[in-house]
Amino acid sequence: MKIADCGSTYSKILDLDSGALEIVATKELVRRKSERYEVATGHCARGRCAVYRNELIALAEGGLALVADGDFSLVDVGGRDIKFVRLKGRKVEKLDWNLSCGSTTGATLELLGNYYDIDFSTLPPSDRWVNVTCGVFGMERVLEQISLGTSPEESVAMFLHGLVRNVIDFIGRPAHFYLSGGFCENPCFVLTAERYCRVTPLGRTVLLEGLKKGLE
Amino acid sequence: MKKHPADTVIGYFGFPRRKILRETRERFGPDLPLVDLDVDMGAPDSGILPATTCRIVANVVDNALSLGSALAAVVAAVGEDKCDRGRHAAFLLRKMGFSVIESRFPEEEFESRPLVFSRARLPLREKIDRIMATVVDPSAPDPAPASCEPTHGFWGVPPHDFRILDLFPETTHVYGWTRCVEAGRPSDVELECRVDDAIPTIFFTQSFCAKQDLAHFLAERHRGLAVDCHREINDSILAKVEAFVRLSR
Repeated sequence: MKIADCGSTYSKILDLDSGALEIVATKELVRRKSERYEVATGHCARGRCAVYRNELIALAEGGLALVADGDFSLVDVGGRDIKFVRLKGRKVEKLDWNLSCGSTTGATLELLGNYYDIDFSTLPPSDRWVNVTCGVFGMERVLEQISLGTSPEESVAMFLHGLVRNVIDFIGRPAHFYLSGGFCENPCFVLTAERYCRVTPLGRTVLLEGLKKGLE
Repeated sequence: MKKHPADTVIGYFGFPRRKILRETRERFGPDLPLVDLDVDMGAPDSGILPATTCRIVANVVDNALSLGSALAAVVAAVGEDKCDRGRHAAFLLRKMGFSVIESRFPEEEFESRPLVFSRARLPLREKIDRIMATVVDPSAPDPAPASCEPTHGFWGVPPHDFRILDLFPETTHVYGWTRCVEAGRPSDVELECRVDDAIPTIFFTQSFCAKQDLAHFLAERHRGLAVDCHREINDSILAKVEAFVRLSR
């Protein structure tokens, strides 16, 4: 049985029988017309699964499966949106989902990184930041910085810093949060976030854990 | 009184003073139907207003232009009970040749009508429809629908796309401006901001509406969820509301 989290830019597919995890760019997945899953979540999962699960519910259930704390904040920063749950006594106290303005920033960061050949595994965090109102406005600020003589690396790190500030404001500036999604593998993002609060990355399969929990 | 063709209507938007609605009907034709121009009637996009206009105000202008000569008059709420953009829409419609009668709902005319529908056990879509119908016909419903204890709250104005309302249980109470309409107090900000703290509430606004200021403040204060939407609801917004309704039970 296969379950999947088909995000806007990356899809995570888990074979529950073998335990094999496949992470594939969603641009690749959309070419696999016949691929189907038993249970799935994510923007690109509809029409590919027998049972569709709500992303925010999968995130909350994934957090409960992975985190033992009674009270905690969990945020998933994706290519297209930011999903957030805060639990108190292991019950959802607050949730939110940033869908349009202020989102699309993960995908924008990847576009910028590819264009300027940025290696995010070695990119140092920047003390400075640009205002990332949305992906498009943020990109304009990066281009402006570069035209002013800031290096592409520093400019992209400033964009990333702006994105981090948006995320932390969006989730209510907690003292600590758990991070889900591809940014767990981006040290520059994590180090930048740790300027503001403690961060515990949970990896890219939190929503899959939520789907698994729903099968129990 | 001028004789009108059969399809002639009187348009209104917001919650005009009852006296002005009555006088307009007397002046233009007591039998002419009253049409709420705020509502999506499938009118083509006139392109008169910027794309970043609240969809409800855009509906007013698009509906008026689509109705054209069938619109005998427009009764326009332009006071604190509506918004600057509603006032501007009224100004533009007059400049385009429509008969526009302005209404500013004064505090002295505030009513204290019972909140029959806001607290009723009914589908939320029907509740909001029936509340908005009280602008034209405020007579008490007979029989009155049964009331219920709230499990959820919907705060805000009637949305452009009513599909969002279908996600809520029948035990959802109505708050915000829509509740103010039922109470007969359309610019009572105190009443508009009164919610039940223990009830998980969605604070809904159209995108680019000034009520987003209140919605964000109240959502933070009452651990609710602020939701805004431009034009039609999309799957992501439906999923966000669905998750809130389910997880906050």
